[in-house]
This record gives sequence, C-alpha cells and structure tokens, in this order.
Amino acid sequence: MRPDFFQFLRSPLLWIPVAIAACLPWGLSAYHLAIGTLALLYVSLALAWNVVGGIAGQISLANSVFVGTGALLASALYIRLGIDMWFGMVIAAAVSAILGVFMSLLDARFRLGHLSFALVTLAFAEIGELVVAGTDFLGGASGLDLPKDHGRFWLFEFGGGPGYFWAALVLALICLVVNQAILSSRLGYYLRALRDNEDAAQAIGIELFRSKATGMAISAALSSVAGTLFARYSNFVDPTLLASPNLTIEIVLIATIGGLGTPLGPLIAALVLIPVGEILRGQFGGTLPGLHFFLYGVLIIVVVLTSPQGIVPRLLSLRRRFRRA
Amino acid sequence: MTAILEIRELSKSFGGLTAVDRVSFDVREGEILAVIGPNGAGKTTLFSLVSGFITPDSGSVVLEGAPITGLKPPAVARRGLARSFQIVQVFAGMSVLDAVTAAALLRLPLNEAIARARDVLDDIGLASRADAIPDSLSMQDRKLLEIAKCIATGPRIILLDEVMSGLTLAEAQVPLAAIRRLRDGGITFVMVEHVMPVVMSLADRIVVLNFGQKVAEGTPEEIVANQAVRDAYFGEDMDA
Repeated sequence: MRPDFFQFLRSPLLWIPVAIAACLPWGLSAYHLAIGTLALLYVSLALAWNVVGGIAGQISLANSVFVGTGALLASALYIRLGIDMWFGMVIAAAVSAILGVFMSLLDARFRLGHLSFALVTLAFAEIGELVVAGTDFLGGASGLDLPKDHGRFWLFEFGGGPGYFWAALVLALICLVVNQAILSSRLGYYLRALRDNEDAAQAIGIELFRSKATGMAISAALSSVAGTLFARYSNFVDPTLLASPNLTIEIVLIATIGGLGTPLGPLIAALVLIPVGEILRGQFGGTLPGLHFFLYGVLIIVVVLTSPQGIVPRLLSLRRRFRRA
Repeated sequence: MTAILEIRELSKSFGGLTAVDRVSFDVREGEILAVIGPNGAGKTTLFSLVSGFITPDSGSVVLEGAPITGLKPPAVARRGLARSFQIVQVFAGMSVLDAVTAAALLRLPLNEAIARARDVLDDIGLASRADAIPDSLSMQDRKLLEIAKCIATGPRIILLDEVMSGLTLAEAQVPLAAIRRLRDGGITFVMVEHVMPVVMSLADRIVVLNFGQKVAEGTPEEIVANQAVRDAYFGEDMDA
C-alpha cells in the first residue's frame, strides 16, 4: 500500500464531511433524509462500478445483475429459508463475485475488447432480469415483500430512516476506501496499465485475467451488498427496479458525468444528481415525469462535448490552472 | 561465452505466408545483438514469438537453459525477458513514474517498486519528467520510457523493437548511451533496428533475416562484406 493511502485514511477532508453527514438525521425531515439515503446508496453503486468501469476502464453493463442478486437472493434466503440477512448478504456477494469472475473469464478467453465486453455484460443484465422474472424462489415478476423492520440489528434491521441513512453512509465510506485502496495498491497499477494498453501491460508481466477478475469480483461484491441494503431499506424488492439494466445505465451515466477513474467523480455526481433528480421528481413528477432522466441526458451530452474526462476532473484541472495564474 | 537465449528452428506461418521460417541463432550473455532485414523480413514476428505474444508453429526458445516456448507474455517477463514495441505502447492515463512502477512491480512490493522506478528514471535521464503523462513527452523521451519500463522489470535480456526509429542521429545518442551503460551492467540486448549507423556502432553481432529466413550472421564487418546481405537489401541483379 502506498503511504498516501494512510494519509487519506487520516485526512480531515475525509472525516469532517463524514461526521457532518452522520449528524444529518437530526436535522433533516424524513423526506429529505430518504433522499440522502438514496443518494448514499447510489454513491456506493457508482463507486462499486468505478472499480471496473473507471479504474479498469471496462464498460460493464452487468451491475444490475449484482445489485439484483444482492437484493433478491439475500431477501429470498431470509423469507423462504429463514437465513439471517447478514449471512444472506455475504452469500449473495459471493455469488455476485463468482458471476463477475465468469464474465472476466469470457473477456480474457475470447479477448472481447471494449465494445464486445459492454455488449456481453449487457446480455447478462438482460438475461438476469428474465431469470428473475421466471424464478418463483426469487419472487418472479412481482417481487418480494420483506417482513416489518423491528430494528433488530442482528437480523439486518436498521430500524427506520436514520438507521438506514447511517448504514448507507457506512457502506458508501467502505466503497470509497476500497476505491482508494485499489488505486494505492498493486492492483490499481495493474488495472490502469491494462486499461491503457493490454499488450504493453502483459509485456511487463501483468496477468490479464487475474487482475481483471479481482477487480470484477470486488465491484460485483460491493454492488451486491448495496443491493441487499437497498432491499432491506425499501422493504420491497421490485425486480423491474433493482434487477433491470436501466439501473446499470443510470449508474454508468452518473459515474461518467462525474468523471471516471478517481473516486471523487462518481462520489460527487451521485451526491448531486440523485437529490436533484428526486426533488425534480417530487416537484414535477405529476406534470413532467422523467424530467430527471432528461436532465441526465442533457448533462451527459454537455459533459461529453466539453469535458469527456468528466466534470470533477475538469473542475480540478481548472482549479490548478487558476491557482497557477 | 555462454548463450543466454537459444532460438532453434523457430517457424510461424500466417495463412500461406511463412513469416518466420526455421530461424535458429544464439544470443550470448552480455552482448548486443542486432536483427536486421528488409521490411516484412519477419523481425517483429520473431520478437513476438520469443516474448510469447504469438505461439510458434514449431521450434523452441530456451532462456537461460529453460524452455519458454509457448509461455504467455507475463510468464516470459517473469523469467527475465523484457520487450519493447515497434510502435511505442504507452499507458496514456499513467504518469511516467506510474508506468515504470507498474513494470517494477513484477519483482518488488509496491513501495520498493516506486523507489526502484525513481532510480531507473534517474539512470536513464527521465527523472524530470516523472509526473508527465505520455502525451506530453517528446519522441525521444517516449523511447526512453519504453526502455525504462523494460529495465524496471529487472530483466536478464531486453528485446528492443526499433527503439531508435523516428529519432535523429543526435537524438538517438541519449538512448544509445543508456543501452551501452546497461549492457556494461550485465543486461543482454537484442534489437531490431533500421538505422544502420546505430546498428554498426552498437551491435557486437548481427543476424540478417530475409523472407523469414536467416541469411547471415556475424560481426558488423562480416555482415557489410556479405554478398547474401547485399542481395537481400538491394536485389540480386544489382551488378547486372
């Protein structure tokens, strides 16, 4: 681990915002707290995706499979077999990681390249949705209802708005630390080198499959855990929401608008875009449904045209230039 | 002198074209061996066969007494053979230091790899560009970066594919000096090169390929005097 990782862990720039966020449940209305929780869940999803999409530079469109596995498998194991959701969360994360490794195996075995990898993972996402709809154990097309939350922490119950907000905050923090840890470690160097040039990376001894599969497994497991928390938080797992490729597209858009590679882009984009989207939906949901998607659409066009590397890296480089001047 | 790399009857065809045809030669420890030949003679294919990017149809490659035929590139790199690419292959999103660190990670833990990468950059004269991204580098510096990545893997032998092409003779002096220094430090070099003054001044021995076959092998003086080499480069009817 590079020393700057430990500096990051000790940095007030990390802990002051976290401490402020942790106090929010005492200051926000239930409605705004729910928006905050949703934003934090999307931070986790975007950061989990960033491991593969940003650091490794592979446009994976299969993250809905992992989120759906985390949400549906852990819920189904709990409801149908009485397996504690903490344990179910771990099982689902392991299943997701294995699925992710399988996708990496296909990628390495058939040298898929960027476009084919995106299409293959999209196929997994489409298949995943169909599999869910056809599997009664997972609730089929109608989804799963979870029993009432009594705030029993050992049963993965966080007891209402503030509890779920804190749980989502912890998970987002874990995803951020994992991203930073990867960037400051051997795996980060390997994934970035492979992203930039597979042949040159292999020539200096980097194992393609092992590195990409590790990144994929981490991304899949984190996405899955976010799915489990999402499921328990909403009490009802809607497969058209959590197992649908649309969710992946949303995550990819958020991460890309923010800026890939470094964790800051997806983090800030999720924290800004989700609340803006939710408030727009609250204000105009009746008259102009889908306005937030329209906003994402406009933003992605503007970002691609003006700063393809994303808004946050762009702002950082502008700030550097401003300081120098 | 002992052979560090033995190439035996190596062949590779693409469709009907035999790109490398039963090529054999030894690379001796500590020498600089140049592989020359007209365009399409099979030089780059030969490098790809030796470094594991292409699997040969037949023949063998032996590195320090152990066969490496058919090993994948990362395994070949671990055995101590590094290669550069004809078209400079940079890591566009990584700084010079990060790219060289990634190479040094082959044999070192991260923090030692970073220190090693800094040493390599110091050595080769790229230290001032450590934080630069490849796009902002001059052609000369990119070539140095290619060599630096090779060195950082801690190799016994380095294959350089046209590392001087695109440089003026004056620009080539910096990488040339680096290669000589490294050779004196015990690293063996095999280089594909088109720039003849470079080949003649640097190489201890030369192997000449034409149409995938080895047509000559010897010291620079011997090669200059060799009729088969003249034929390969200028056509057989030169004197007619």
